[in-house]
Amino acid sequence: MTEDIMEELRISTVKRTERIRISVNGRETYAYKGETVLAALHAAGYRVLRRDKNGQARGAFCGMGICYDCLVTINGIRNQRSCMFEVEEGMEIAIDEP
Amino acid sequence: MSPNKYDVVIVGSGLAGIVAANRLADYNLEVLLLDENIHIGGQILRRIPQNLGVGAGREPSQVRRIGFRFIESVKEKKIRVMNRTKVLGIQPEGELLIEEDEKRAYTITADIILFATGARERFLPFKGWMLPGVLSTGAVQILIKGSGVLPAKEILIAGSGPFLYAVAYEFVINKGTVLSVLEQTMLLDNISLIGRLLYQFPKFTEGLRYLAKLLISGVPIRYGTQLIEARGDTGLTEVVAARVDRSGRVREGTEKVFKTRALAVGHGFVPNIELPQLAGCELEYSQDKGGWVVRVKDDLETSIERVYAAGEITGIGGALKSITEGNLSAMGILHNLGKVSENEYISHLQRLSKERRHHLAFGKCLNTLYKIPHGAIRSIPDETVICRCEGVRMGDIQKAIANGYDTPGALKRILRVGMGTCQGRICGPVLYDILSAYREIPAHDIPPFSVRVPVKAVSCGSLIS
Repeated sequence: MTEDIMEELRISTVKRTERIRISVNGRETYAYKGETVLAALHAAGYRVLRRDKNGQARGAFCGMGICYDCLVTINGIRNQRSCMFEVEEGMEIAIDEP
Repeated sequence: MSPNKYDVVIVGSGLAGIVAANRLADYNLEVLLLDENIHIGGQILRRIPQNLGVGAGREPSQVRRIGFRFIESVKEKKIRVMNRTKVLGIQPEGELLIEEDEKRAYTITADIILFATGARERFLPFKGWMLPGVLSTGAVQILIKGSGVLPAKEILIAGSGPFLYAVAYEFVINKGTVLSVLEQTMLLDNISLIGRLLYQFPKFTEGLRYLAKLLISGVPIRYGTQLIEARGDTGLTEVVAARVDRSGRVREGTEKVFKTRALAVGHGFVPNIELPQLAGCELEYSQDKGGWVVRVKDDLETSIERVYAAGEITGIGGALKSITEGNLSAMGILHNLGKVSENEYISHLQRLSKERRHHLAFGKCLNTLYKIPHGAIRSIPDETVICRCEGVRMGDIQKAIANGYDTPGALKRILRVGMGTCQGRICGPVLYDILSAYREIPAHDIPPFSVRVPVKAVSCGSLIS
């Protein structure tokens, strides 16, 4: 993914320091220190995060750890709320493909 | 003191929690401040960790500036802070079962517990509200304020009450496009109430500033308009909305389609009462306070001795109420522990109670703006999903009510509504409204879901540890 697209949803007036490498389903991408996993996924263009038990695509909803809709796999641990974790260098995130 | 025993354990580090912690720490008490989030400050004080003191590239509001100073002083004082920590259960004698960092569960003991668990959002379900791209208004604000990321370049914002304008303002000043703000209530109803608010509460001019910015930016605001359907295959692509009459019923033939990849929805706030409920604290229902709240005495002690409640859980009323109640609960606790004289206690109690009454009156106006009319509840179509976790639909719920399953508990047992991972936190308040509308009984006659340990989802690994 090109840099332009990666920065499209990031608010330009926000001061960002440390750029961090993460991967989503094995694909290398980047995020910035302090971003939640959810924010980093949105900025990288991922809004579908999982399929529910009926096979329907689901993404984030409440954004504050209550609804459990934004569940992803982080470093091999399943069912983590992406809104409640911040990105870390080398973090491996796995989501259901849309 | 042993590391797992404290004079006061404060659950929730939003404004009420940090204000109380600060005051209590001045009296040489062992204070533990617990919060499930990564950073302290709760929802109102969210900010980008790299931009300490500056919210999303803008100067923070006055209330946020005050709050940031409280956070700084929590860090300077001898207050133990545990982030990423959930309270799973409360046992008698002040024992709390907690889970640290999604990994380790154990118990701690508190001489006094202060609940400051805040609020979450209220929703009015519509067809397709589970599609990726449909977010809560709070989620949008958190993405912007906490991470500096917009969920999309363009957004449609819908629901009721002043928070819609706050989020729209935030979106616009950060170079996003707001296609429209759809407000369920009628313009006329808003004007009369807002006029009264402006007269009584100068604080409300903040709302006018938002509104002015939206008008200047050319954001269309449509009153008396409600969401009908969110459409898309694997994610949101378009939204259908229509005009409603005063009672909340949809007017046929007024549908309008918006092309958008993002939709923010919200109808105000409901208190997070689950933990106090589990501790056995008496609740009360008050429309003016935003639904089921924790019943408190003048100094914010609950019906259970040595258990206090402060902030949104005693009534939705905003940031200033939380600051007042943080101070008031701290005075109650200090008096309970014999740390302040009777005279000092009474003079503070009088001053803070007066402030509190003012904030409750403001909250009453706020909660009126957020009220969802019964007509709107009755117009939810049969196929609309109410419980997002278990996929329970309006038609199933209506049928069950007609068959005599007429309490939240009975509906839960027969339909699994509210039994998923969120434990009824999202659908519960809607379900109470549905029961009230269909049984034509007042909301205070509908008891909320009962709660059990663990109050929040926990991994088996944590419990084994």
